[in-house]
Amino acid sequence: MQTTLAWFVLVLPLLGGITLIAWPGEPPRAVTRLIGIGSILIAFALAVTIFVSLLMNAPDDRTFTSGLYEWISIGGTSLDLSILVDPLSVMMLLIITGVGLLIHLFSAEYMQNDRDYRRFFAEMNLFVFSMLLLVLAGNFFFLIVGWGFVGLASYLLIGFWYERPAAVAAAKKAFVMNVIGDAGLVLGALLILRQLGTLDFQQAFANADQLGANSGTALAVCLLLFVGAAAKSAQIPLHTWLPDAMEGPTPVSALIHAATMVTAGVYLIVRCHALFQMSELAGQIIAVIGAATLLMAATVALQQVDIKRVLAWSTVSQIGYMIMAAGLGAYSAAMFHLLMHAFFKACLFLAAGIIIHALHDEQSLNKMGGLKKYLRVAYFGMAMGCLAIAGFPGFDAFFSKDDILATALAAGPVGVACWIIGVVGAFITALYMFRLLFRAFFGPEPSGGYAHAPHPSKWWMAVPVIILGVLSLVGGWIQVPFGWTGISDWLAPVLADVQHPLEPSNAQVWLTIGFSTAAVLGGIALAWWLFAADPERRIRLAAVARGPREVMREAYLFDEAYDDVFIEPGRELGTVLLDDVEPRGPQGLITGTAAVIRDTARVVSASETGFVRSYAFAMIAGLAVAGVILAIVVAGVA
Amino acid sequence: MGEQVTFAIAAIGAVSFGIGVVFFKDAFRAAVSLIGTLLSVALLFIVLMAPFLAALQVIVYAGAIVVLFLFVIAYLGVRNEVPGRDRLDAMQAVGWIALLGIAAFGVIAVLDSTIGPGVPAPTNTDVGSPAAIGHAFLSDHIIAFEGTSLILLVAAVGAVILAKRAVQLEGGR
Amino acid sequence: MTVPMSAYLVLSIVLLGLGMLGVMRRRNPLLLLLSIELMLNAGNILLIGFSRQWDDPAGQIFALVVMVVAAAEVVIGLGLVVAVFRSRMNLDVDEMSSMKG
Repeated sequence: MQTTLAWFVLVLPLLGGITLIAWPGEPPRAVTRLIGIGSILIAFALAVTIFVSLLMNAPDDRTFTSGLYEWISIGGTSLDLSILVDPLSVMMLLIITGVGLLIHLFSAEYMQNDRDYRRFFAEMNLFVFSMLLLVLAGNFFFLIVGWGFVGLASYLLIGFWYERPAAVAAAKKAFVMNVIGDAGLVLGALLILRQLGTLDFQQAFANADQLGANSGTALAVCLLLFVGAAAKSAQIPLHTWLPDAMEGPTPVSALIHAATMVTAGVYLIVRCHALFQMSELAGQIIAVIGAATLLMAATVALQQVDIKRVLAWSTVSQIGYMIMAAGLGAYSAAMFHLLMHAFFKACLFLAAGIIIHALHDEQSLNKMGGLKKYLRVAYFGMAMGCLAIAGFPGFDAFFSKDDILATALAAGPVGVACWIIGVVGAFITALYMFRLLFRAFFGPEPSGGYAHAPHPSKWWMAVPVIILGVLSLVGGWIQVPFGWTGISDWLAPVLADVQHPLEPSNAQVWLTIGFSTAAVLGGIALAWWLFAADPERRIRLAAVARGPREVMREAYLFDEAYDDVFIEPGRELGTVLLDDVEPRGPQGLITGTAAVIRDTARVVSASETGFVRSYAFAMIAGLAVAGVILAIVVAGVA
Repeated sequence: MGEQVTFAIAAIGAVSFGIGVVFFKDAFRAAVSLIGTLLSVALLFIVLMAPFLAALQVIVYAGAIVVLFLFVIAYLGVRNEVPGRDRLDAMQAVGWIALLGIAAFGVIAVLDSTIGPGVPAPTNTDVGSPAAIGHAFLSDHIIAFEGTSLILLVAAVGAVILAKRAVQLEGGR
Repeated sequence: MTVPMSAYLVLSIVLLGLGMLGVMRRRNPLLLLLSIELMLNAGNILLIGFSRQWDDPAGQIFALVVMVVAAAEVVIGLGLVVAVFRSRMNLDVDEMSSMKG
C-alpha cells in the first residue's frame, strides 16, 4: 500500500507539470495555481498518509521496495525502475512535498505579475518530481536520473528570467558545476557496479564489506560519491554556483537552493552510509571539507550586502554542518539538521521574498532599514528564522546543531576539531544573521525614504511564512537532549547497520550546549552592538580590517582562481585550437580533399570541350585503335 | 558476269555520290547526292538477294528521310558554312591515322580466308524475301521489333516537343 | 555469289571512311547528319552481305532496325537543328558548346 501511494506521490507533480506545459495556450492563472499547487497538495497528503501508515507498523517493518518493471538486464545485473520506501525516504518526501507546498502557495502570489506564470509552475513541478525521484530511487541508476533531472530543473529555474544575462550566466555556471558532480556520482556508481556487481541500494549496502574496510577501493567509491554530493550541496571546492543561483526567483531559491536540492548531497551520504562506513579516511576528509565550508561560507556571509546572497552563503554554511556531521558518522544528526534547515531557511527566504516583493525587487541591505513597521509578517518570519538558524535556545538549530556538535565531540580528534569550528561557526552565524535582521528591520530608513511605501503581503504569501516561522520554533522539539529522540528513533531502522553509533556522553552534551549557547548569545549581542544599538557605529568602523573583509566579500576569490586556473587556460587552448590547429588539421584535410577533387575535375572537364565533332572524332579514333589491335592479332595468328 | 557488272556499277555509284555528299559545299546538292548513294546501295541489296530491304531503302531512306532533309534545307534556306578557322585542324593528322586504322579492317577482310575471294556462295535465296523477314521478325526477333516501335514512338514525341519548344521561343503558343 | 564478300567489305569501308571524313570536315549540322547516313549505309551493306553469306535472316533484321534508328535519329536531329537555328540564326556545330565542361 505504501509503495503504491509513493508511486502516486512521485507521479503527481510530473502529471501536474506536464498538464501545465501541454495546456493549449496560456491557461488562466487560477487554473495554473490549481494544477500546480493541487498536485503538490495531493502529493503531500499522500506522503503524510505513508508516514502515518509507517508509524503504525513496527519499526523493523517500515522498509518497502517496489519495482515497476525491469528496465535493463545484463549479465546477472538488472536495473529495475524501482523505488525504496523507508523512513529516510519518507522523511525526505515530507520535506519536499511539505515545504514545496508552502513555497508553491507563496509563489502563487509572488509570481502573480510575471508573464511566465505557467512556465514557472511547470518547472517547479518538474523540480519536485525530480527531487522525489532522487529520494525515492531504489538503485543508483534512478538516483542518478533524479540527480540529473534536479540539475536540469535547477538550471531552468535559475535561468527563469532568461532576458537577464546574469541569470543565464548563473544558470550555466550551476549546470556546469553540477555536471562535474554528476560525473563523479556516475563514476562512483560504476565502480560500485564493478566491485559489488549491483546497483541496487539494498543489495549494495548489504554487501558493502566486500569493498574491504579502509581499502583504496572504498576510499575511491566514497570520494567519487562525495564529488557528486559536494557539487549538489555546494561544498568546497564546488560551492561557487550557489550564491550566483540567487539570480532565480526567490521562491526558487527557497525551495531548491535552500530547502531541498542542496541537501541532496547530505541525503546521498546518509543513504549510502553503509559504503561511507567502509572508509574512515573518506569520512574524515568529508568532515574536514564540511567544516572548512561552514567556516568559510559563514565569514563570507558576514560581508554580503545582497540579502539573498547572505542567505545563500548561510545555506552553504549550514550544509557544511550537515556534511560535517555525515562525514563524522552522525547521520541522524545530519538529517535532523537537514529537516530543521528546510524549515528555517525556507522561512528566511520567503520572508526575504516578501521584502523584495514589497520593495519592488530591491535586494541590497544598503537600501533597507526600519522595515519593522511596514512588514510585520516578514519581520516575524525573519526573526523566527534568525533565532532558529542561530540556534537560540528553544529554536530549531539549538537542538539540531547541538546534536551535530555533541556527536562530533564523541567522534575522536577530528570530531573535536570539527566541534571547535562548529562552535565558532555558530558564533558567526548568529552575527551575520542578526546583522541581516537588524539592518533590514531596525535602524533608520535609507536616506530619502522609500519611493513607494513597502506594501504588506497578502495571505498567499503570509501564511507560508507564518507556518514556517512557527515550525522554526516548535520543529526542534521533535528531538530534545535528555528528553526524547524522535528523529533518531524514526531513522533507526535505516541506520541499524551503523557499526559504531556515536553516543555523546552527558558531559559532552552539556559542554556543547554551554559553549554553543554562549556563542549564539555572544554573536547576537555583538550584532546588536554593531548594527542596532547605534546605527552610526557601523559606518565609523568601516575602516577596520578592510583587507580581510574585502577578501571575504569576494568569497575568498574562488571565482577568480577558477577563472585563472581553468577558464583562461581553457579559453587560450580553444584559441590555439581554433586559430592554429583547426585550419591546418581537420579543416585542412577537408579543404585539401576538396581542392584535390576540384583540380582533378578541372583537368578531366577539359575533355568536355562542348565541341561536338571532337566527340565523334574520339569515337572514330577508338574504332581505329580497335581496328589496329585486331589487325595485329589477326596477323599474329596468321 | 551480270552480277559483277551490276556490283561494279553500284559500287562506283555509291562511292562517287558519297564523295559528292562529303565535298559539296551546297547542302541541297549534298542531300541530292545522298539520294544517289542510297539508290546505289539499294541496287547492291538486290544483288545480295534482299529485295525487301532494297524496297525499304528506296521508300524509307531515299523517299522519306532525304525528303525530310530537303524540307529542312528548304525551310532554313541555303546557307554556306560560316567561314573561319576549323578548330579540328589540329586533329586532322590524327584523323588520317584513324582512317588508316579503319583501312586495317579492309586488309583483314581481304586476308580472311572465310570471306575472301573464292568462297562459294550459298544456294538458299530465300533469306531476303518479305515472308522470311516477317517470320523472323515476329518470332525470334520480337523484342527487336517491339524495340523499334518504341524508338519510333519516342522519336515522334520528342520531335513534337522540340517543335513546340521552338514555336514558344518565337512567341507563339 | 560471284562477287566475293571481301569486295563488299572494301566498299563498305570506303563509304564509312567517306562518312567519317564528312563528320570531321563539315560544320553544318545538316551535312553532319547526311554523313552519318552515309556511315549507317556502309554498315547496312555489311549486314545484308553477311546475312547473305551466312544464310541468316538476322542480318536483314539488324539492317531494318538500323533503318528505324536512322529515321528516328534524323527526326530528332533535324528537330534540334531547327530549334537551334531559330534561337541562334547560325548553323555551326562548333558554336553549340554550352555543355562545355
